[in-house]
Amino acid sequence: MELREEDLNGVTALSVKGRIDSGTAPELGQKLEGVVSAPRRGLVIDLAELEYISSAGFRALFIAAKRANETGSRLVLCSLPGKVRQLFEIGGFLDIFAIAGSRDEAIARVR
Amino acid sequence: MMSCVATITGPGDGIARVESMLDEMAREHRLDADPVADMHVALDEVLSNIFRYGFADGLPHRVEVRLSVGPAMLKAEVEDDCAPFDPLALPPPDLSGTLEERPIGGLGVFFVRKLMSAVRYVREGARNRLVLEKWLSESDGRANGTA
Repeated sequence: MELREEDLNGVTALSVKGRIDSGTAPELGQKLEGVVSAPRRGLVIDLAELEYISSAGFRALFIAAKRANETGSRLVLCSLPGKVRQLFEIGGFLDIFAIAGSRDEAIARVR
Repeated sequence: MMSCVATITGPGDGIARVESMLDEMAREHRLDADPVADMHVALDEVLSNIFRYGFADGLPHRVEVRLSVGPAMLKAEVEDDCAPFDPLALPPPDLSGTLEERPIGGLGVFFVRKLMSAVRYVREGARNRLVLEKWLSESDGRANGTA
């Protein structure tokens, strides 16, 4: 898994490349915790280059989304590839997370 | 059917070694990315459960993972000598509710059942044996996807 963080005029965009599994989820969780703990922050998680995500990864996203609600930050996921979207669907997560089709749409939604 | 085996004695790099073994097999046999991704997720769930619960007694244990690929199927056999545990006996998780209401966890085994074409558990003597099968053809793959 590779994480790339960019600051786009006050919005943080985090791109996740590769695989989120029990081995890599803790690193993702730590990174997300740092970003969503800042109050009223906009965070876009770009999953365009994600191969797959297991339940350990969903746990990390889930905790970050809850934390974002507490701190008044906005978190939107975007650009889910087909396989990743299928995993979100199986886990019943499509309605739980805010999900945008593109990065631009996600940025507009967190601003 | 060609196969390879990894023996793991603790979390350490165990899951990563199985991950590499599956990647190598997928490359060698030019398998489609989709069924391989499903098998990666299923193995991550199964092995992390074994390490979290099976190894919780603090005793030394061995887990053996055998991967094999045939013309129509990708198969993983996972055997461990931990306490008896039938993951298929777990009730499905409650997927309803909002972010605030939903409990975290209980999803791993559910993913395994949904992603694999067939899953079998048997207790053989002092060992748990879990067999995961993924059909390599897309139409067959979804046939049992709601199990």
